[in-house]
Amino acid sequence: MIRLGLRLAIAGGREAIGRLVIIAAAVALGCGLLLTTLAAFNGVNTQNARYAWMNSGVPGAESACTAQACASFTSQPAPASADPMWWTLSEDHFAGQPIARIDVAATGPDSPVPPGIPALPGPGEYYASPALGADLASTPAAQLGDRFAGRQVGTIGAVALPAPNMLIVIVGHSPDELSQAPGAVKVSRISTIEPSDCFNCEVGMRPDAMELILSVVTGALLFPVLIFIGTATRLNAARREQRFAAMRLVGATPRQVSTIATVESTLAALAGTVLGFAVFFGLRQPLAAIPFTGQPFYPSDLSLNLIDVLAVALGIPIGAAVAARLALRRVRISPLGVTRRVTPRPPRWYRLIPLLLGVGELFYWVADTPGPLHHRLMNADLGFLFPVDKPQTGTGQVAVFLPGFLVVMVGLVYAGPWLTMVGARLLARRSRRPATLIATRRLADNPQAAFRAVGGLVLGLFVTTVAMGVITTIVFNRGGHAENPAVENSMTMSIFERSARASLGTSVPADVAAALRAAPGVTGLTVVRHNPDDNPAAPPPTAPMLPGLVSCADLAKVPGYGECQPGNTVAQVMQDFSTGFAPVGRVGGPRAPTVWLPSSATAESLDRLPILSIVVATDGSSAAVEQARTILEGAYPGWIEAPTTLADSQTDFTKTLNGWEQLANVVILASLPIAGCSLAVSVVSGLAERKRPFSLLRLTGVPLRMLRRVVALESAVPLLVVAAVAMGMGLLTAQLFLRAQMEYTLRPPGYGYYLIVLVGLVASLGIIGSTLPLLERITGPETARND
Amino acid sequence: MNIVEARDVRFSFGETPALQGASLTATPGEILAVMGPSGSGKSTLLHCLAGILVPASGEVWFDGQRIDTLNETRRSTLRRDRFGFVFQFGQLVPELTAEENVALPLLLGGVRRAEALGKARGWLDKLGLDGLGGRRSGELSGGQAQRVALARGLVTRPTVLFADEPTGSLDSLTGEQVMELLVASAREQGTTVILVTHEPRVAAYADREVVVRDGRVSMDATVTAS
Repeated sequence: MIRLGLRLAIAGGREAIGRLVIIAAAVALGCGLLLTTLAAFNGVNTQNARYAWMNSGVPGAESACTAQACASFTSQPAPASADPMWWTLSEDHFAGQPIARIDVAATGPDSPVPPGIPALPGPGEYYASPALGADLASTPAAQLGDRFAGRQVGTIGAVALPAPNMLIVIVGHSPDELSQAPGAVKVSRISTIEPSDCFNCEVGMRPDAMELILSVVTGALLFPVLIFIGTATRLNAARREQRFAAMRLVGATPRQVSTIATVESTLAALAGTVLGFAVFFGLRQPLAAIPFTGQPFYPSDLSLNLIDVLAVALGIPIGAAVAARLALRRVRISPLGVTRRVTPRPPRWYRLIPLLLGVGELFYWVADTPGPLHHRLMNADLGFLFPVDKPQTGTGQVAVFLPGFLVVMVGLVYAGPWLTMVGARLLARRSRRPATLIATRRLADNPQAAFRAVGGLVLGLFVTTVAMGVITTIVFNRGGHAENPAVENSMTMSIFERSARASLGTSVPADVAAALRAAPGVTGLTVVRHNPDDNPAAPPPTAPMLPGLVSCADLAKVPGYGECQPGNTVAQVMQDFSTGFAPVGRVGGPRAPTVWLPSSATAESLDRLPILSIVVATDGSSAAVEQARTILEGAYPGWIEAPTTLADSQTDFTKTLNGWEQLANVVILASLPIAGCSLAVSVVSGLAERKRPFSLLRLTGVPLRMLRRVVALESAVPLLVVAAVAMGMGLLTAQLFLRAQMEYTLRPPGYGYYLIVLVGLVASLGIIGSTLPLLERITGPETARND
Repeated sequence: MNIVEARDVRFSFGETPALQGASLTATPGEILAVMGPSGSGKSTLLHCLAGILVPASGEVWFDGQRIDTLNETRRSTLRRDRFGFVFQFGQLVPELTAEENVALPLLLGGVRRAEALGKARGWLDKLGLDGLGGRRSGELSGGQAQRVALARGLVTRPTVLFADEPTGSLDSLTGEQVMELLVASAREQGTTVILVTHEPRVAAYADREVVVRDGRVSMDATVTAS
């Protein structure tokens, strides 16, 4: 029987080969995407593990795990060295990119050595990552190289780099020098504990959230593929089932028919699985370039382990075999033909329940901000009904909101046939043309089949709409809501709680001030003093309080930093003059400057107060920003928090958002063609199964134009109805998430989103249109005869 | 002794009765025509006799064995090894060549491929289809396809050949050719033929004819050669 099954699958003519190729292609896509997703999961973990050594200075990073957890770690901590090294970890920036700076000093010959370098750098030596080395070579020393005293003695190897483009420097010092630096700690072993297993670690990711996001992306990608596979396997199902009936007539037992069907499906799945591995290797390189963790990947990190390979290579063909057997159980193949065991009942209204539950779950978590009832309802705020605290951590948010998203996704798929049926019935009532009547009646009779063809598109549109809506709104509120250029372009060196051991003193050294003022592109220098009234240990002040004080005379010298209220000599300000979260007299705009709150301090007393921040105004050029940064770092070496601009602090966040946006684009750009393929196969399959009745209709005088209209309507109606519903649900879900977690109001996605959706819908309609010429060919008079 | 016998067989399609106590016998080597108007139940009777349908009540016997109580697999095996079928249309597997279609019952029965195809070729030659063994059903005329079906029905040397309107989709000349081949081959092998038809011209090839009306066998007569 196996041989006969192979014979039927391989040498059964063009139709059989076409079917085999389409199923294999669908399985290859699914298999490739599944493998890529598994590799992405592995890649996130591998990249995270590459951060481990940078946490060596974190107290307890080597022993942060419980005994049970430690036993599960793949790499055990190295033995403690007798010669611990001094270590500081700080973050710097160059040209919008973060630099991880590790300062080290050996205390003996056995001091531990970080990965990627042969030995610890001595005083006046440093190792740079390849990307930083390239920047050092191409940038004037005054803008970058002068930050690292001494000479580069080597390049940090890939083993120590989480991403190929990361900027990392390991700078050598003498123990005496580094031990005095703020935040310096002794390290006796290099940490190998993955940041996800380390409670105190400062560098690396908590991959739980990332894995859940990847799960949604996987679902959004795989679902259309599963639909495609399902549609492809139904291709010519009627003829195939008739063939099985013919076999049963001449004595094939149900078991023999089942074996033949299983062989056919398994063969296609096997071929698809083999091709799927090729698809994976084709997708790996482009995926590695998508920085969805904030950093791109080494392609080799997106790898598969033995279990992944075996699970996919065996699981897909076995799954196909099981699916083929289950599919045959739904029909009774007798020698006289095929009958459905269960006549599909029309979908009922209760198919909406999961969708409503999903939306309800998202409503539930909407924040309970105070206000009148009608106002809270209008803001989608029902939290007052269920007094539950909204989650504060990223993982908590993901754990709370992702189930809601997933339930909405499942709900859309489950409710889709009912929505299709309702839409078709409404259209049928209003239809005046026979084509509309035929198409809508058919849709209403079997909405499951009609929806199946476009189900993949629904999820792709939903996920993309949510992602685009959320990202657009966040970017608008955080990234897109720019401070005025003077504040954006300013370099600020300030004291934070973490660098409490450090002090900027009470005055800027004259040579430093002169060097800053002399740097090309620097337009001003302002000193912000610590506000003595802003004491975190004191009871909360009754009036708004800002951390910095500045003299109104200084403030007037730099356009764009704002102004004092009339009559004041000292104003309360933020350390970098940003107004994003500061209570101010009036937020500045294009026409009116920011007005800062008054202070009771006098101008004379300011000089005696310690410096909170040094703010260097620049013309925004990279040369000016980086030179100012380099001068400040040279003047205040060993700071944990390097001087920074507002743009720097937004860079990481923006990059991660951009990565997610790219993932969303990948979802829609991958799912649309796949959904299009499903649609095409579904339309062609529907045509093939009805070619005889259509042919007879043509013989009785029905114009071909009308049949074309029937086919087009049957596909276009569910496509457009569910696309509208998916987009609407996507925007609602995004709004609920944004209101609940960030108290933002949804911003409409940008033109790119509408363009992608439009292109996708037009392409789908084009696919439907491209199948119409087939109608003429396969419904010729010769089709009307009996086989 | 009867090779096939139906005793008071009843069968319904849902609420619609098709057979209401039909009884019939056929002897070894006999060619029996089952006639009757459309909807009278003659095809249903044939399906019950062949073990394709299981009657709601009554008994069906073949070669001294009651077959209506056998399970699906045993009835399938019986159809494969002891019965042959020629229907009006829709009986060839389109993906297989004519030769493979003829060999199919043998392949299903576990006969080696080369042997099965050899036997199939022999039958095709016998029925005037030499040289057409490599064609698929879509590449054959109606008469050729029906002769392929006949070859397939006879390749296992069945005890009984069930033929349901075997010439229904053919013109009269081709129909006569097919019937002559069917009858000649059956007589040569000693195969019993149960032939459902509504055409007197086709029924004339039979040794005996019965008429089914309203689900009952109402008339049993020996055909007199004209």
